[in-house]
Amino acid sequence: MNTPAGRPSNPLARLLDTYAPPNGRALWFLILVIAFLAALDAGGGRLLNLGTVFSVTQLFATYGLVALGFGMVMMLREFDVSLAGSFSLGGVVAVLVGGSNPVLGALAGMAVGVAAGLIQGGLLVWLRIPAISVTLGGLLIMSGLAFVLSGGTTISYPNRDVTRWLQESELGGMISHRGLIVLAFYVLAAWLYTHTRIGRDLIASGSNRAGAGNAGVNTSALLVAALTVAGGLSALGGVLLCYGLAAAAGQALADVLAPATAAAIIGGVSLGGGKGRPMGILIGVLIICLLRSGLTALGTGPKALDAITGAVLLFVAVLDGSQLQDRLIGWKRTLGARLGRS
Amino acid sequence: MSEQAAQSDLLAVAGISKRFGVVQALDEVSFSVRAGEVHAICGENGAGKSTLVKILMGVYQPDAGEIRIADRAVHIGSPRRGQSLGIALVSQELSLAPDLDVEDNIWLGSNRVPFFHRSRELHRRAAEVLASLGMDESMLSRRVSALSLAERQLIEIARNLCRESKVLILDEPTATLSDNDIERLFIAMRGVREQGHAVVYITHRLGEVFEICDRVTVLRNGRLIATHDTASIDRSHLIEEMIGGRLEALYPEPDTATDERVLDVRDLSVPGALRSLSFNVAKGQILGIAGQIGSGANEITRALAGLIPGASGALVLRGNPTPLAGRGAMLAAGIEFVSEDRAGESIFAGRAVAENLLATRLAQLTRLGMVSRAPFDQAARNAAKLVGVDPVRLPHPISVLSGGNQQKTIFGRFLDHSRTPEGKRDVGLILMNEPTRGVDVGARSDLYQLMREYCKLGFSIVMYSTDLEELLGMSDEIITLYRGEQIGRYTRAEANLPRVLADITHAEGRAHGAKEAA
Repeated sequence: MNTPAGRPSNPLARLLDTYAPPNGRALWFLILVIAFLAALDAGGGRLLNLGTVFSVTQLFATYGLVALGFGMVMMLREFDVSLAGSFSLGGVVAVLVGGSNPVLGALAGMAVGVAAGLIQGGLLVWLRIPAISVTLGGLLIMSGLAFVLSGGTTISYPNRDVTRWLQESELGGMISHRGLIVLAFYVLAAWLYTHTRIGRDLIASGSNRAGAGNAGVNTSALLVAALTVAGGLSALGGVLLCYGLAAAAGQALADVLAPATAAAIIGGVSLGGGKGRPMGILIGVLIICLLRSGLTALGTGPKALDAITGAVLLFVAVLDGSQLQDRLIGWKRTLGARLGRS
Repeated sequence: MSEQAAQSDLLAVAGISKRFGVVQALDEVSFSVRAGEVHAICGENGAGKSTLVKILMGVYQPDAGEIRIADRAVHIGSPRRGQSLGIALVSQELSLAPDLDVEDNIWLGSNRVPFFHRSRELHRRAAEVLASLGMDESMLSRRVSALSLAERQLIEIARNLCRESKVLILDEPTATLSDNDIERLFIAMRGVREQGHAVVYITHRLGEVFEICDRVTVLRNGRLIATHDTASIDRSHLIEEMIGGRLEALYPEPDTATDERVLDVRDLSVPGALRSLSFNVAKGQILGIAGQIGSGANEITRALAGLIPGASGALVLRGNPTPLAGRGAMLAAGIEFVSEDRAGESIFAGRAVAENLLATRLAQLTRLGMVSRAPFDQAARNAAKLVGVDPVRLPHPISVLSGGNQQKTIFGRFLDHSRTPEGKRDVGLILMNEPTRGVDVGARSDLYQLMREYCKLGFSIVMYSTDLEELLGMSDEIITLYRGEQIGRYTRAEANLPRVLADITHAEGRAHGAKEAA
């Protein structure tokens, strides 16, 4: 089930194999979060209404693409913190370029992310610089550029038709067109991941890069491609957000990084590389969004939100830690041996 | 396969030379590999084996000479080119992805895989190859992380066979395998031979040369010494050729054991690995522990070193009851440990030989938090001389040293306790796992000599090794283990290879062992 290579023969099983989240844990966690919020709400009706659902999916639309890109790079055991930069710069560029032609604006915005990914990936591969330093540089440069381009203020996006269409809700008011576009990328990513060489090569290079290289995988090209796609996706996330808000503010957008990272980790992408799937990241993002929207609906302030997100992330990291798992296995074994003897 | 075809050369190397700086790594080496043979390459570390392999793989380019594949001169410019010419390396660092299943691993990176990577044709081919190596089709859907080391090596061989590699290079594949697994590997190698491919087999274990290989090529100091049919050469002749006539007794005289009891171990247990083992060690004695991987033998030394948290047992060290505690406490009690994982647990790879040598006694060489340079250098030179490492190498990073010299450096770390009679710690106990893994014959003899010298100084040694010949050659007494329990204990006079082998394999009476014993 966990590898993209399970070969189920019947269509339903194949569908499940592609789109089911990789492990039950993330899903249980989602249910746990919902139950937790419902308990806090205590039947007050502030939580379980269409408004909250819509705000969750709107938040998902904001974080989703960055988290997907971030998770994909993380599967290769690298970190691309510049995705937040692509996100904000992409949005600013799109707003500046796409006034009359939104598609051109979106393409220009995405081009920023793609170019950033290509350049940084090239530096990583050719000069063998660690990703964290390169992408931190990229983040600062792009954030700075976004600030300069927007003149340090909020610039508004004049094309109200685009904004209206993106924010228009579907499915009985549960999700906007913007959310659906982001969701579509997840579906596409999950499909590519399961049914093509991409997923397999990602896993292989993530868990044993030198080995995958020896086996004939072009790991350098894969890394550059991952950074490029992630950059493009993040920029698109920024474009959609700015179009949807009808405004871009260079300095205000960089805070997607922490929630997106948290989402990827909670969704089962291992820091050690080689593990994780798009649908897992989706669940991770939903958990983060639920927590934030849910708690906001219940009247929690924004600072407390960060603290709670952090606590959840820590909890998952502890659960995931190899130390704990080893110890659990050890306890189990000891217990088994004791029971077996008595 | 016709007789003539079986004799044709798949791969021929003529007059290959390679120089690195001042070192002539290979000097006009020529040899050939025939279709349907297993061809051993033997030589000490530094003989040029790995350089030769890397040239064949396309990692290095030779300075001179020619490589011919199926009678055509080829240029192997890169590892990819090497693979497309049908040369494949099964290396010690395996190149499998643990999180993928076997089938995906077999086809990983192959240019035959379509973008939509599932293919009935590829599945069928992989199943065929697995079957030829004695494995079931169900193996294909298993995850590599769940496989044993031997199975992984077999999968790696299967991968290369699937890609129609003509020449498989196996670089010390058995170093970490148990006997049963080695047998499986050998079956696979015979299968490869039957199919008319060739295997180039690099090993330190001479017994394997005679068991599995058809021909053997000996290298020494970068030069070709000879190629023989294994049927026409004997073991001592082979060793002589490898080390250049300076064949002396490999194992020193076992004359250091005393009657004074140093260590008493009662009921040593490790959950899931070892059950209630009791034994004792005398001063100056070498106690050998024999057992296959998974027998608990490896856990004995690790538990005594304080490296296994769940271990329990009663220790009496020089008459003092000593609780089994963590590594720090055991070290303070005078228990040294040499890991089988030299790169991972012993050396500081990027640091100089001198720093590695003195790593355990920096405290003595430090004043006000600063290492005193002159005493440090002096101590390093002394220690290097004592363990037989060339002092010229002291400033070099330890990673450029051969395995043998690295291990000598590690052995040098115990010197402080023996050379300072008034020192804080007593002369103690040294635990060793696979002390000569990846060490060539010449350096091995030096290490054995060193071990005995430590015993003369009053140390006792408990060593675990899967190389039974070494165990029998070095040990004053041998304990045999099977599945976490002691099977026998033999003095040097009582112990012999068939007996020990029967104990640790629980008398499964396999051909491999019997042949080696003969």
